[in-house]
Parts: sequence; C-alpha cells; structure tokens
Amino acid sequence: MTEYRTHMKIIGDILATTRDDLQDEDGATVTYLIRKANISHSRISTILKTLVSQGLLEKVDNQGSNKYKISQNGREFLQAYYSFTNFADNFGLSI
Amino acid sequence: MEFLLENILNLVGFLVGLAIGIMSYIGFRNTGSPTLFRLTIAFFSISLGFFVIWTGYMTEDLIIKSGNIERWVQTLGIAIQTVGYFFIAFSHSIKSFFPKSSYFRSVGIFPLFLVSSVQLEHIFRSVSFILLAYGAIETMLSYFENKNKGAISVSVGLGLLALGEFLGWYSFVFPDSIIYPASMIIKIGGLIALFIPVSKVPLTKIKFDEDFGE
Repeated sequence: MTEYRTHMKIIGDILATTRDDLQDEDGATVTYLIRKANISHSRISTILKTLVSQGLLEKVDNQGSNKYKISQNGREFLQAYYSFTNFADNFGLSI
Repeated sequence: MEFLLENILNLVGFLVGLAIGIMSYIGFRNTGSPTLFRLTIAFFSISLGFFVIWTGYMTEDLIIKSGNIERWVQTLGIAIQTVGYFFIAFSHSIKSFFPKSSYFRSVGIFPLFLVSSVQLEHIFRSVSFILLAYGAIETMLSYFENKNKGAISVSVGLGLLALGEFLGWYSFVFPDSIIYPASMIIKIGGLIALFIPVSKVPLTKIKFDEDFGE
C-alpha cells in the first residue's frame, strides 16, 4: 500500500535529497528530484518555486540547465523539521 | 489532603500544558505545520484550564476562605481543558467520528437537552473522557504503525487522564470516598507520562560540518 505523504513531508523529502543525496556539487536537477522525491513535474515546479522564494533552496544556472542546492536556511529548516516530526510522532501525528 | 492534591494537580497540569504548548508553538513557527498549530491551541487551552482552577483554589485559600472553591470557576477551568482535549482528538481526524446522516446528527444533539439539568461540569467531564479515550486509542494505533516508543507514553498519559476524568465525574455518586483523590493522583500520573517523551525532543540547533557553505 502506498504511504500517504503530507505536503510538509514532500518538502522534507526534497530538502533532504538536496542535502544528503546530490548528483554532484553543483546541485540536483529537476528530473533527479522528481525521481528521488517521487513527485509529478507540475507539482514539484510549484514547490521548488516556493522553496526558492522562501530562501530554503538556491537555484543555480548550470550550462543552460537549472540545478537546486540547499541553503543555510534550508538546512536549519530541515533540522527543525526532523525535530518536530519526532515531536508530532509522539502524539501519533504527522506534521 | 484533597486541597493539596488539587493544588499539585492543577499546578503540574498548568506547567506541563504550558511546556508542551510552547514547544508546539516553536515547531509551528519553524515549520508552519497546521498539526503543530492545533497542538499549540490544545496544550495552551489545557494549561489555561488548569491555571484557572489553580487560581480559583489559591484565591479561595488566601482571600475568600469559605472552605469551597467557587463552582463556576471549576466548571470554567474544566470547559477550557475540554476545548484542549477536543483539539488533540481533532488532530486525529475526529471528523470521521461523527455520524454523516442528518437524522443521526439531530439524535446526537437531543441528549444535551435531556440532561440540561445536570451540572455543566459533569457534561464537560464526560465529553473530556470521550475525547481523551479517543486520543489515547488513536495514539496507540499509531504506535503499531511507526513503532515510536514515545507514542506509548503519550497514549498511556492520555489514557490515565481519561480514567482520571471518568473517576472525577463518577465521584459525584460517592462524594466523600477515595474516588476523587484517586482521580487526581491518576491525572497527575497521566500528565507526567505525557511530558516524558516530549522532554526528550532535541531542540538544540544542528552543528554543521566545518566545510559547510564553502
């Protein structure tokens, strides 16, 4: 059975991929993130725009293609996300 | 003895509710999660409810000195706590708990008119019991899914609070028996069980590698 993921969990998965599981030092392509985060192109485009505008991801123009890297704010957000996921888990809830 | 237990219970309830509420609020500010927002409302309400009753007891003891707390103060405090318990249960998708048929909804409201002569406090206690029991069961079910040991402690905590509420409500049948003091001791145990896993959540910032950001 497929596990239901909240919007917050999808954001957490995207940020975790850009932090821990990069293809190379320049960042991750959209195609790579789609595969790793298991999400549709239309949905990830919106999320990536939001994450970049919020300063959690950095968009890098690499030889004509866009790549994404996690920012300092993104790392702090991800740490808070893990802490409070654990907190909510204690109540049997998902954040 | 009963006065001392009431003071301990309400003070512990106020502090535990406040601590968990603040932690939930920090989480909400950091992540924007609606679940953490609901938990913030829930635990600030619970904390406020206990504080109202504690203030009532202290006012009675230090100023009024009538020997009994004002009934409306106790009822108000319990009502505010019930709001908090509702938000905990609501976080577990309590909507599925209500019957969908409009006929059953109308029948569901009917008993409120039938028991209108019963003191409001008893109604709030019984509602709290249902909400807490629901929260305890849902939390225990979540443990079977994710095997997070903290969920057992929270589930036991909510279960003990539910039992305490039930005994507190039932004690009106035997007013001078040990049931009411026992309900308070059980609720104090429940609050402590609720706080144990939450106190272990690390809130310190991560230390990044030295080469980070270069």
